[in-house]
Amino acid sequence: MWYNTGVDLLTTSVATVESDSEAYTLVELSGEADVTNSDALREVLDTEVAKLPRTLIIDLSGLRFMDSSALHVILRANRAMDRQGGVLALASPREPVAKMLRLTAADQLIPVYPSVSEASAG
Amino acid sequence: MPTNDAMYHTYRSDLSEVRALVLERAREAGLAEGRASDLVLAVSEVAANTLRHTKSSGTLAIWHNEREIVCEIRDEGTIADSLAGQVKPAPDATGGHGLWLVYQVCDFVELNSDASGTTVRMHMALPASNGGH
Repeated sequence: MWYNTGVDLLTTSVATVESDSEAYTLVELSGEADVTNSDALREVLDTEVAKLPRTLIIDLSGLRFMDSSALHVILRANRAMDRQGGVLALASPREPVAKMLRLTAADQLIPVYPSVSEASAG
Repeated sequence: MPTNDAMYHTYRSDLSEVRALVLERAREAGLAEGRASDLVLAVSEVAANTLRHTKSSGTLAIWHNEREIVCEIRDEGTIADSLAGQVKPAPDATGGHGLWLVYQVCDFVELNSDASGTTVRMHMALPASNGGH
């Protein structure tokens, strides 16, 4: 693939959040996630998964668009979290993204919550 | 066939621009917001294949009449499997959802592919009361 990576299109920020129960990793995505920036997204998620968090929450509230390549990166991260005994959860997708998660049945593999606080409560 | 007033756009790497054009035209044509988002997803998935599988640019054409809006993507790629996208991938498959989504969200899809390239036309019916042209 020879095209420029669309890094400006997608913003990621990562935080470790101390909650009442236990700490979790929060990855916030905003902008548009597509094939032009899915490698960058994979690097971010791989890095966080490698730290062996118990819970990794991806906040989708700022994401205007997500395509199947971004979904595949998230599915891979989910598989890796599964293997190491952790949980990956998605929070507050906007309707177009939520619909895509339903159509692909990804929402049956990965729990989707209306908010980050509900995701962290499990 | 594209109408005389079809809009054409050539893309090489900027899918965000492709999506913005589709959304703008779909709204102008009177497509409801949720269905406009569906069309944006479909066109973006097909255009993503241009970036993935070819080294050249692709062309987007958009036109509409009183009945429907059509988005056409042409590129130099070849899709060997004529049933590509018509079988649902396993939920945990980490590939193959793109074209399948296109078939799910569009009212009608025409896919033609040979050695010279691929043309995918995605059709969405417009609300009956809407004027179009």
